[in-house]
Amino acid sequence: MVTAIHELSTRLADQISAGEVIERPASVVKELVENSIDAQSTKIDVVIEDTNHQVIKVIDNGTGIVPEQVELAFRRYATSKISQSEDLTRIHSLGFRGEALPSIASIAKVTMQTSDGIHPGVQLQVMGGQLGTKQPAASRRGTTVVVSDLFYNTPHRRRYLKSANTELAKITETINQLALGHPQIAISLRHNQKEVLQTAGRGNLQQVIGGIYNNQILKQLLAVDRSTDDFIVHGYIGKPELTRASRNYISLIINGRYVRNADLSKAVIAGYGSKLMVGRFPMVILELTIDPSRLDVNVQPTKQAVRLLDHQELGLFLTETISQRLQKQNLIPQALDNKVVRTTVSAHNQMEVALNLTEATPPIAQLPATPQPDQPVKSTQRSVVGAPILVKTSDDLQQPAVRAFQQRYAQEPAGAPFENQPTALKTFPSLRYLAQVHGTYLVAEGDEGLYLIDQHAAQERINYERLRVAVGKVENSEQPLLVPLIFDYSAAEALTIQQNLATLASIGLQLEPFGSNSFVVHQHPTWIKAGQEESTIRELIDWVLVHRQVSIADFREQTAIMASCKQAIKANHHLDQKQAVALLQRLAQCENPYNCPHGRPVLVHFSNTDLETMFKRIQDTHDSKESEF
Amino acid sequence: MNFSINRVAFIKALNVVQRAISAKTTIPILTGLKIDVTDHEIMLTGSNADISIQTTISTANPDNELQIQATGSLVLSPARFFAEIVKKLPDRELQVDVADQYQTTIKSGNSEFNINGLDANGYPHLPEIDHEHQIELPAKLLREVISQTVIAVSKQESRPILTGVHFTLEKHLLAVATDSHRLSQREVELESPLTSPADFVIPGDSLKELSRMLDDEEDLIKLSLSENQVLFTFGETQFYSRLLEGNYPDTSRLIPNSSDTKVQFAAGELLAAVERASLLSHESRNNVIKLTIKPADKQVMITGNSPDVGKVEENLEPQALSGNDLEISFNPDYLREALRVFGSVPVEVAFTSALRPFTIKPLERPDEFIQLITPVRTF
Repeated sequence: MVTAIHELSTRLADQISAGEVIERPASVVKELVENSIDAQSTKIDVVIEDTNHQVIKVIDNGTGIVPEQVELAFRRYATSKISQSEDLTRIHSLGFRGEALPSIASIAKVTMQTSDGIHPGVQLQVMGGQLGTKQPAASRRGTTVVVSDLFYNTPHRRRYLKSANTELAKITETINQLALGHPQIAISLRHNQKEVLQTAGRGNLQQVIGGIYNNQILKQLLAVDRSTDDFIVHGYIGKPELTRASRNYISLIINGRYVRNADLSKAVIAGYGSKLMVGRFPMVILELTIDPSRLDVNVQPTKQAVRLLDHQELGLFLTETISQRLQKQNLIPQALDNKVVRTTVSAHNQMEVALNLTEATPPIAQLPATPQPDQPVKSTQRSVVGAPILVKTSDDLQQPAVRAFQQRYAQEPAGAPFENQPTALKTFPSLRYLAQVHGTYLVAEGDEGLYLIDQHAAQERINYERLRVAVGKVENSEQPLLVPLIFDYSAAEALTIQQNLATLASIGLQLEPFGSNSFVVHQHPTWIKAGQEESTIRELIDWVLVHRQVSIADFREQTAIMASCKQAIKANHHLDQKQAVALLQRLAQCENPYNCPHGRPVLVHFSNTDLETMFKRIQDTHDSKESEF
Repeated sequence: MNFSINRVAFIKALNVVQRAISAKTTIPILTGLKIDVTDHEIMLTGSNADISIQTTISTANPDNELQIQATGSLVLSPARFFAEIVKKLPDRELQVDVADQYQTTIKSGNSEFNINGLDANGYPHLPEIDHEHQIELPAKLLREVISQTVIAVSKQESRPILTGVHFTLEKHLLAVATDSHRLSQREVELESPLTSPADFVIPGDSLKELSRMLDDEEDLIKLSLSENQVLFTFGETQFYSRLLEGNYPDTSRLIPNSSDTKVQFAAGELLAAVERASLLSHESRNNVIKLTIKPADKQVMITGNSPDVGKVEENLEPQALSGNDLEISFNPDYLREALRVFGSVPVEVAFTSALRPFTIKPLERPDEFIQLITPVRTF
């Protein structure tokens, strides 16, 4: 039987589209909180209640919606955020597609209560896309959206929901991401009356990070601030010893939007170079500001993936920024802090931490319903560059944005939050050799205390810096092959290889097309080890497929690392005074004397304070604090 | 199973079979030694799946002092352990007696070992070989063919076919090996040509193992073929090897027919000079030495240069030289390995151009043996 083609009903279309936008409760939270942020709220409360069905409540103090337009908000492709197609190229708001509310409303019970603070408030209930009746409500400025019975009419989706705890963890993660992107907004998350997260909304990213992770981590973060004509970056990068097992702790926020971008993550990791241990990833929170017209966020409905026109330049900028910042830092781990401690903050731990917090501000819902005229109008423009304030005539100075700007910054504390951090360029300490311990560690003293040096790691680093240069210098001679090597690739890979034949030729690899998707190699550079021709050439081609460029020095870095390890003195090897002193002198000349090429520390430091504390010459700070109470 | 045997004769047979037995195998029973006792002989079998070796000890030979009381089959595992026991036993003779459940008693003098054996039915069967494709070669000649070609096999498992020596049998036996940087080819005239031609590739490792076993052999070696196995029979011993599957590249057109420059050396002298020059090239970044040939000036110079270490120059004294001037660079290790198999005989090195492979042949009977080496293109 042939079924006639017909147009889908709006309701069905909404449900289909909801499948893209709303995957799980966390998506609802994301969409609603983004709406609140776009409505210039300064305080957003998210309340999750697990009764029979999860109830999600998002309360903000934003601009609200005027009574006549409330129904329109639930209409597909209805939005206040953009109006012309050119707007798509300069999106300053988080949302713009006009899909979120109707999508949520098509698969859940939604109650919205809103007021712009001038007109009387209204309440509207929508269920499965059917508008209910509009009722008058309190005229508190802002919007409250309550979503319950999510997926009640799409049971297949409901089946895929994970346990309440997993979903809560996802929600927490979403709120964390939003909070990191908007330190100027006080965001709270409450679950069954328990506070999970609360940010102060004072525009201080450091405080937000402390709230999300823990305050211990703050000590191990380095502030980063750099701007060029094209990019501004502000944020914190973890010291190389603060590592995680996954890339998930690299948080990149572009123009207030938390994004996932593999190229940029790679660029961040590249900034750490060989300072990271193998298989470990840094913790990084960076807010990037770029020209919105150079950024395409309209890639997928959830908007986490973005396309960047200048992603290579931005990547280089990030790599450079991070490696410069790390160079400035004294990277000798404190001996007492360097013991391996696992710190992971799950949603549960966060809750427990949060339980101990005293409540900073009352929830908005309990605030007086009428607007307070004496409350300063806080601008919530997320970035100055993202939304340029044009001043052409003196009258422009009176425009609200300018006033808002002044008012906002009048309240900012003078000076950067990290002013008291040492920023002076720290250099490698001058070490006086004392003794060798167990034929493995060298003990040395410096002006700032005692140092233990791992002799193997130290020599590995010295060898590595020498060899890294050496392995990159290869002769251009080529060895012809009696029986050529043939490499087969997929059609897509073959096309990329075709485009990069010149790059490969530049390192002595002449690939000739050989039938469809295959290449033949008649000769290879002589530096490739005998017996490893095929695997090495394959690796080189893979390298080009991934990086689109290749340098023999980079490619052979692993060789350099291995060779430097082999040639280094091992543990349990006696060194006399002269040898040890020579080793320390050569270490001091290294570009990065702090880590071996595998990322392990070369030396640890006991500061004078540490030593004094150990012998109770000074009171432990912990004890003294307790005695105050 | 119950037999007694002269210990020295038994150890000799054990040593032969043990060559095929490896402690590392994915089939546990292959770490063992298989013993089959029939009315008039004992057969020992060892295998590592790639090669299998079988040898028999007969009652006919009085040196063996073999007396068989009961027949039967058994696997003793690990073989190494059993061999160590036998080697350390005190008396001239030993007696092996297998009771129920493969409980094996080994007696010699006052010493008695009780060890656990395994059911021989669990041991893989050796391949059946048909005797249609069969040739006979003197042991010395086969050893020579192997040593001349096996140097050029590839050690790269990514192209498995090149890890073997390619044999073509028709009127002649032609053995070729190449790792695609150099090639080695040996030709032997067969006394009794095959009725139908055969073409197979034997793994280089199997040939090396076989060659070691042929050291003391003087007699004819019989070579028989099956679908995927080759069998060498000599004396009391049978040596099986798997064959490599796949098509061996056509190497016939790789060998140049003509040359523009020819130089004759005593192989040993050229080898010594190459070894000296490679001392330096090994320290350099690309392991290359250069040969400069000027027939008009009767001059051949070998140079090695390492920017970090220094350089070496040596004027060679060729026995004869003719043709055009030439400068050619190559990896000295390939030439060194090629020259070693020539011993001290005079050789002719023939070049076409700086970028074409060059050949080395013995002056006497140059059609029998040829080595080919690809040069390095330097910039």
